[in-house]
Amino acid sequence: MNARWTYFLLLLGLPGLLWLATLRVEGEGALSMPMVRLPLEPPDNPQTPAKVALGRRLFYDTRLSADGTVACASCHKPAFAFSDGGQRFSRGVGGQEGQRNAPSLTNVGHRRALFWEGRSPRLELQAVGPLTAHNEMAMTPEALAQRLEAIPSYAQAFREVFGEPPSLRMVTFALAAFQRTLLSYNSPFDRFQAGDLKALSPAAQRGMELFFSERGDCFHCHTGPEFTDDTPHNTALYTVYPDIGLARATGRDEDVGKFKTPTLRNVALTAPYMHDGSIPTLREVVMHYNRGGQPNLNADVLIRPLGLSEQEIDDLVAFLESLTDRSFTANPNLLPPAEP
Amino acid sequence: MQRWLLLWPLFALALAAPVELKLNLRVGGQPLQFGQTYQTPQKQRYQIDLLKFYLSEVALVRPDGSEVRVPGLVLAEFKPGGPTQGVTLMRFEAPPGTYRGIRFNVGVPRELNHLDAATQSPPLGVNSGMYWAWNPGYIFFKLEGRAFLEPERRWVIHMGTDAFRIPVRLQDLQTPRLVLNLPGRGGSILLNLDVGAAFLPGPGGAFLDWRQEELRQLHGLSPQTRAFMGLVYQNLIQAFSLASPPLQSR
Ligand code: HEC
Ligand code: HEC
Repeated sequence: MNARWTYFLLLLGLPGLLWLATLRVEGEGALSMPMVRLPLEPPDNPQTPAKVALGRRLFYDTRLSADGTVACASCHKPAFAFSDGGQRFSRGVGGQEGQRNAPSLTNVGHRRALFWEGRSPRLELQAVGPLTAHNEMAMTPEALAQRLEAIPSYAQAFREVFGEPPSLRMVTFALAAFQRTLLSYNSPFDRFQAGDLKALSPAAQRGMELFFSERGDCFHCHTGPEFTDDTPHNTALYTVYPDIGLARATGRDEDVGKFKTPTLRNVALTAPYMHDGSIPTLREVVMHYNRGGQPNLNADVLIRPLGLSEQEIDDLVAFLESLTDRSFTANPNLLPPAEP
Repeated sequence: MQRWLLLWPLFALALAAPVELKLNLRVGGQPLQFGQTYQTPQKQRYQIDLLKFYLSEVALVRPDGSEVRVPGLVLAEFKPGGPTQGVTLMRFEAPPGTYRGIRFNVGVPRELNHLDAATQSPPLGVNSGMYWAWNPGYIFFKLEGRAFLEPERRWVIHMGTDAFRIPVRLQDLQTPRLVLNLPGRGGSILLNLDVGAAFLPGPGGAFLDWRQEELRQLHGLSPQTRAFMGLVYQNLIQAFSLASPPLQSR
């Protein structure tokens, strides 16, 4: 483990970890702690406790939007694993509705590709999107810098953390540092993996087998500990996609309907599902895969009728539900700070 | 020989004349005024609220077709309250003499367009307001305004990606009509940009109809709107011209 992270966890994370530990003692009383995977820190934006604290304030602050009504957290709510709590589409300034479902920010520091089409390479750049989009927070770099400079506690905090006044760029750096602390590795599945064989119900265990089998084939795209390959695929959700996905950026016909595989961690908290929030429940998502989707020329070869029984569908759902980490949504270090 | 080499810097100094590249914004034949309402050829009424673009890869063209390249990248910005006529875009030095034109690109050179914007310095970087979060790379040309429909609607044109770098060639090697005589004491080269030209109709009369929602948000390469982005792009290649006279000596 990198020394700076150790230091950082000690300073900031310790209360949280202790709290996590008590939760687990109250819970199943497992033998070993699931392993926390720390994201890589970009060399130009090292984590410091002060920077994370600043990013946390900014994340919850509606003053970052043109009309002062919308914060990052308006669409990425902690109780819903930082997704938008049942909203199919989120609303930005002036109540304007967006066109996509707000994804969960669970372990977002590990994503190598951001946004539904996966075209943004790092958190520092991604945040420019919502901050400036006309239907999200609708700020200009100039207005944002002026607004924050006029708030003495921010004017001071930016100078302390970055040695320079507030700017769009420094806002995105602080937000990125906070988002790299959105770590969730304490689901029943993680505890099962760490050796607590009672953490998963028999149904969830059967679902897990299916998920990682060639028959279910889910793990080919929902890969590894993050349950995503960070790559866009067409899952045959529609024959004609109203939102064309990756093609919007590349202009290529073969990219129509391709969206980045989302993580499945905490997925039971992030309904509705898919890029457009068009599927209301997990069971219906699994049924979509079981049918093999709709006819679509760009569909991934793995999307095909699976022939799962009703029981197997339920098992898969039970497994997906076992990916929920309540200690994440209640982690006091990730909730709104005391003074905004 | 040695001595000549020593004198070379002096020659070079005498050979470099200061040049200012200036721009007038126009709509049709008139100077653009913010706050004024204009009309497209299809009679849709509009106002301009913002124009911002990158200018790079500037070169003066000699009579033999060879070029004097000017290093540098600038971000031009025009908005209400600011000037629109004779605005200096760029200052550089060039050998005095006769030129037959100028060329430049509206956009960020390919080799700069795909570096990490989080670490690039002005006029690049995210504080420019030109970084495109959904796409790695910059918006090259941003034109925003309002259309006076019922009700009033905002529209934006955000042109970018390597496919939409706008090559502007204001040169004439064949006929002797265009001559830029740059004296030793330097001068200004004056360009016009007809902003209204962006809205000219294309083949078959296709035009940017602001009554259609998707045409009010023109971004990137989307196949749904690409034909219209292509139309605006073609229009913009033609929208720059040299003012007359194109060169004013100091
Ligand atoms: C109006 C609702 C809204 C607001 C406000 C908002 N977001 Fe989002 N966020 C979304 C939506 C919708 C997406 C998916 C957009 C897309 O992919 O085109 C998204 C995507 C993201 C992603 C990409 C996640 C991934 O896995 O690809 C991150 C990170 C993110 N937002 C962080 C932020 C931050 C930081 C802020 C505050 C500066 C913010 N969001 C403000 C709705 C919002
Ligand atoms: C070809 C790659 C691929 C395979 C195979 C695959 N998925 Fe997905 N999954 C995706 C993509 C891509 C999306 C997002 C699609 C969209 O929004 O249009 C997604 C979305 C989901 C979602 C919704 C998540 C959310 O936050 O909206 C769930 C749940 C899910 N998949 C579960 C599964 C299960 C269970 C399986 C196996 C039966 C499976 N996936 C197989 C790529 C895949």
